[in-house]
Amino acid sequence: MNVLKGNIHKLTVSNNLTLVSTKVNNIEIFAIVIDTVNSAPYLQEGNAIDVLFKETEVIIGIGETNELSIRNQFIGKIESINSNELLSKLVIKTSVGYINSIITTHSLKRLNLEIGTLVTAMVKTNEIMLSE
Amino acid sequence: MIDWQPLILTFKLAFITTIILLFVSIPLAYWLAYTKSKLKPVFETFVSMPLVLPPTVIGFYLLIAFSPSNSFGSWLNNWLGIKLVFSFEGLLIASIIYSLPFMVHPIQAGFSNLPKSLKDMSYVLGKSRTTTIIKVLLPNIKTSLLTGIVLAFAHTIGEFGVVLMIGGNIPGKTKVASIAVYDEVESLNYDAANSYSLILFALTFTILLVVYLINGGYLNHIKK
Amino acid sequence: MIEIDIHKKLTSSLGEMDLNIQTTITKGSLVTLYGNSGAGKTSILRIIAGLLQPNSGNIIVNGETWLNSAKRINLKPQRRKVGFVFQDYALFPNMTVKENLLFALNKGDNTKIVNSLIEIIELGELQNRKPETLSGGQKQRVALARALVQKPSILMLDEPLSALDSEIRFKLQQYILNVHKEYNLTTLLISHDISEIIRMSDKVLEIEFGKITRQGKPNQVFNYKDLSAKFQFTGTIIEIKTQDFLYILTIRIGKDLVKVVADETEGEHLKAGDKILVSAKAFNPIIHKIG
Repeated sequence: MNVLKGNIHKLTVSNNLTLVSTKVNNIEIFAIVIDTVNSAPYLQEGNAIDVLFKETEVIIGIGETNELSIRNQFIGKIESINSNELLSKLVIKTSVGYINSIITTHSLKRLNLEIGTLVTAMVKTNEIMLSE
Repeated sequence: MIDWQPLILTFKLAFITTIILLFVSIPLAYWLAYTKSKLKPVFETFVSMPLVLPPTVIGFYLLIAFSPSNSFGSWLNNWLGIKLVFSFEGLLIASIIYSLPFMVHPIQAGFSNLPKSLKDMSYVLGKSRTTTIIKVLLPNIKTSLLTGIVLAFAHTIGEFGVVLMIGGNIPGKTKVASIAVYDEVESLNYDAANSYSLILFALTFTILLVVYLINGGYLNHIKK
Repeated sequence: MIEIDIHKKLTSSLGEMDLNIQTTITKGSLVTLYGNSGAGKTSILRIIAGLLQPNSGNIIVNGETWLNSAKRINLKPQRRKVGFVFQDYALFPNMTVKENLLFALNKGDNTKIVNSLIEIIELGELQNRKPETLSGGQKQRVALARALVQKPSILMLDEPLSALDSEIRFKLQQYILNVHKEYNLTTLLISHDISEIIRMSDKVLEIEFGKITRQGKPNQVFNYKDLSAKFQFTGTIIEIKTQDFLYILTIRIGKDLVKVVADETEGEHLKAGDKILVSAKAFNPIIHKIG
């Protein structure tokens, strides 16, 4: 599990859902949760917050990624690769900290990923969890 | 034609004995069922003694105790004007002692078999001990109460030794049916003895049968 | 605020045990006593209710002293304002549902509260039935309603839901939470079920062998992160398999077996038999109607 430490920057509430903008290292990460400040009192701008997401939910891209519907994008360099028959685990050093990603070994090869490759790690807004 | 007086006296005695026993036995059985006192076995033994002692032994000691020739008997006689030997009142007290276990045991068992939580809950709901006994405990041991009432009643009808010792055989006062049977046999009036016996047999049989029917649940469909 | 400081020598099936409990309970909170059977949880509730006499101690409820053994103050159960739901419910068999509730009133009390409780706990159709004709869940509701008639300072529930199947259980948890909020109660609950505790309680006291071993919010006591995830279950690990840098966990959740993939940081401390909390964002599950 990837855990990043940040603060709540901005809240956009619509009925039962809240779009939470957090800042980690001054970079915005977005999460959507089925909570409002009434059901989850920690949802206050400025509060310290942990941003969590599973390695298997981190998508890796190279080159131009602006045309994708994924809002959370972090550019970084691959620091290590642990490759097995079906799955490979990457550690990427990004501007928000180290991010682990598990992708298929097939994709690893197709994208020619190696240590030092510049990649974009991406996580969908609905895959990000928050914790006090 | 037989003399009905002994039968009437028997039922009058059994009726009054049962009523008094009911009021005596409920608190006594309650205490025995719930007490943690170390004296409990002693009291339980006393209550059960009439089950095992020959009735004549009880009768004998009561006779001695109530006799005006000793201090307790003369105190009763002089101060309270009560004469317990060879009187209906004496008979009554003897019957109460003699039938005590038959009333106490079923009621005590009834209390003991009730979940303790009922009593606790009633207390938590702010109810006094008396209210708890009357409104919660007793209504839930109705069959035990009925058993106690009927057994005490039937047992009083059946007593002989105690009655003979303490009551003597005074027609209209202490001559109950069981003694009348003995009397008639002694006088070789077998027909009269048979009449008394048959009536007693039929009545006690009916009473016990009703108890077993009720406690066995055979009458439930009739109640509804 | 409820201040509790009690000592009692207990003789249980496990032998002699010193019950020694000091804690304070915030007014309006729902506190769960959690621990093995025989740890003394029921005894704690019975001492607070006045049904069991401690060897020494103090109980102060919202400023009123219920027990002070040094000053020989010891209120009778009748004078302590507690609502108690026993494990066996203790409904009076000779009374109907409504009579059970009416019995709980004090002389001169308005009977209105009985009617409104019958409504809140949805007992309307059952009110003239005798307890023996009710199901376990229904009995539980009656016992809960009866405990509330006197508007108690403390509501105590001794494993109220353990005998019920999971569907009714969930509904009753809602009832308890609703009345807890509606009547602004301070509630003490005994429970073995961690998911129930997480769902319901503000505070957990873990009791072992007559002592409080841990206390705090459920996430502190059970040591998990409070996540924004809505897809949350507690389960028991049946089997762990490793696959490359992943762990594949087989978990029993209620009656169902599920498989979950965990990464190294999550999986390396786990072993079969562990109780775990499984969380996911609520956006992934696909729903099929099956009945």
